[in-house]
Amino acid sequence: MLMMPVLDLQFGERIVTLMAALVLVLQIAMVSQRWIVLHIRIFAVQSLLLAMIAATIAWYNHAPHIYIAAVLTLVVKVILVPILFERLVTRMEIHEEIEPIVNVPLSVLIAGGLTLVGYVVAESFYRPDAPGVGHNALAVAISLFLIGFFTMINRRKALTQVLALLSLENGLFLAAISLTYGMPLIVELGILFDVLVAAMVLGILVYRIRESFESMDVSRLRRLRG
Amino acid sequence: MLLILLLLIPVATAAASYFARRRTVMEAVNLAGFGAIFFASVVLGARVLADGTVSLANGFFYADALSALVILLTASVALICASYSIGYLRDDQQSGELGDDASGKEQLAQLRMYYTLTPLFVFSMLFMAVANNLGVMWAAMEATTLASIFLVTFYGKITSLEAAWKYAMIGGVGLSMALFGTLVAYYAGHNLTGSAALSGLNWSVLAQHSAELDKTSMRLAFVLILMGYGTKAGLAPMHTWKPDAYSEAPVPSAALLSTSTLNCAFYGLIRFYILTSGCLGAEYPSHLLLLFGLLSMGVAVPFVLVQKNFRRLLAYSTIDHAGIMAIALGIGGALGSLGLMLHMTFHTIAKALLFLCAGNVYQHFKTDQFSKIKGSVIKAMPLTGVVFFVAMLAIIGMPPFSLFQSEFLILRAAFDGGHTLTGVLFVVFSAGVFAGVLLLVGGMILGPGGDEPVAARRPWRNGSLLALASTLVIIGFWVPAPLFELISRAARVVSGQ
Repeated sequence: MLMMPVLDLQFGERIVTLMAALVLVLQIAMVSQRWIVLHIRIFAVQSLLLAMIAATIAWYNHAPHIYIAAVLTLVVKVILVPILFERLVTRMEIHEEIEPIVNVPLSVLIAGGLTLVGYVVAESFYRPDAPGVGHNALAVAISLFLIGFFTMINRRKALTQVLALLSLENGLFLAAISLTYGMPLIVELGILFDVLVAAMVLGILVYRIRESFESMDVSRLRRLRG
Repeated sequence: MLLILLLLIPVATAAASYFARRRTVMEAVNLAGFGAIFFASVVLGARVLADGTVSLANGFFYADALSALVILLTASVALICASYSIGYLRDDQQSGELGDDASGKEQLAQLRMYYTLTPLFVFSMLFMAVANNLGVMWAAMEATTLASIFLVTFYGKITSLEAAWKYAMIGGVGLSMALFGTLVAYYAGHNLTGSAALSGLNWSVLAQHSAELDKTSMRLAFVLILMGYGTKAGLAPMHTWKPDAYSEAPVPSAALLSTSTLNCAFYGLIRFYILTSGCLGAEYPSHLLLLFGLLSMGVAVPFVLVQKNFRRLLAYSTIDHAGIMAIALGIGGALGSLGLMLHMTFHTIAKALLFLCAGNVYQHFKTDQFSKIKGSVIKAMPLTGVVFFVAMLAIIGMPPFSLFQSEFLILRAAFDGGHTLTGVLFVVFSAGVFAGVLLLVGGMILGPGGDEPVAARRPWRNGSLLALASTLVIIGFWVPAPLFELISRAARVVSGQ
């Protein structure tokens, strides 16, 4: 009797939807977040939820290769990248708050609007007859992509822009597992390797910008014109 | 085996340079490595001409005429740049551009970075051209950005950090759109091939079944891919990183960025164009490509006309030519595709040569502003001056040079295909760029100048310059038969005939 709900497809669908909703909530929390360390931790939790979604989908759809993708996500995005960035923050002694260009209430409102757009776009992919678990997550994935995009434009600090870029990539990961149960493993490997290298490269770049400008405010990067 | 070798040589070159302790060793390793890559690319071209396609590891690696042409062009530019950069970086070291610490350790570290990252950069471009899997192709494209970011920051100036930041962020957003597009294309095809199988994302498999792909998904996929790879190709309005990155990177790296990376981005775009036109018909991708192409050409004109800096001028010229290539792809058909492939080849030769000349001028005069040079180039450096002038005439499409022929072909395809408005705008924008480049660069080289001292002889760089210049002139009158065969076969891949 106890095993019943675990094997039930509808139950799995609900769990995935719940976790996807949490991922979306975290993305909107990132939009309104003012402290950079918290921003990094929210990103880590969001990535953890994604890994769990991937594992759930792997379990219910009997697709073992998604487990590997889930573990890789766990290692790269939940452990390595956040550690890297937190060390960077400590080393650079960043105390200041993140100053968004659009104020926080309006930003959250815009994020809500983008979520709506995400649902409209995802509608065209909706197939009621499609088997398996995870189709509800697509709308969330597209919303993550759009909100990540908006956060990048909305932030002035170099490190926050990188985090926004990575959360945008999280949206793509969610889209991949919900649309097609993940890309082939080698592609997944390539993408995660790129994410890891990109995080390191951009980290170094952020550090050097900070050293040269005494600030990571990228709105000060305006010498090259024409 | 050949394809593996093509990828292994640059990795080995990078590793060897990383562990080398002396500058001369790094230079020798790089030169030998790029020589071997060039040789392998020629052999690949010959194999493709003989057998049609070369594939390996169950079709994981795949090369047809289009890949072979892109690889050949990349390898040629890489070899020329490898020999040029020996002279260029030695001069930089002497003049103290690389920092002037007494022990020379920092300088060596910087040189090591250059000689390690350049082969990795070339590796990722070659990988892109031989990867059959569209996801792997994307990862390779992203790797080109990652490998070249620290080439843009090579001189460590404040402006180069700014350029690298723009390059990384705009490129990152663009490529995430390309990844989304790849994903949607995978979804469009995953109902007909096993979704978990690796071959489900293989271009050669998808191209065979392109008519059965999901139409709505492919529509979305192509827009995303065009925005994504278009960002890497520098199509307007995603072009803004280009002038900054090209003017801050060391000149040989800028030459690679503006020719080989541009070709690779177009290569990715062409692969998706073939899938999309097979699925939806040529009209849908064609409209989008023409729009972005004309926009790029149009955006380039005002920036060329008022440009103060010659390296940025070259970047805007590359944006203009990216527009021309997008238009050629948009017109499509047998004629448009042939024009595209010829233009890709000719542009690569002429633009690489222009960057190398600009590097010579920049290092001699220590500035890249037109106003500070005032036209004494031909007196101070006769060889560079003459070659620069010839390359400039070629790039603006002056007959009898080769780019005139390819642009004329594209224009003819435009009017034949009923794209009259496109053809007219093409002529107008080309005329604008023609006038701007001719006045500015012509004035800089031939104008009445001050009395600059005559430059010293530079064997490493003048060798590269002369090799490229003679290729440029000869190819205007006579394209070797095997090369033309490769180009026209690549064009047939593009037009799907």
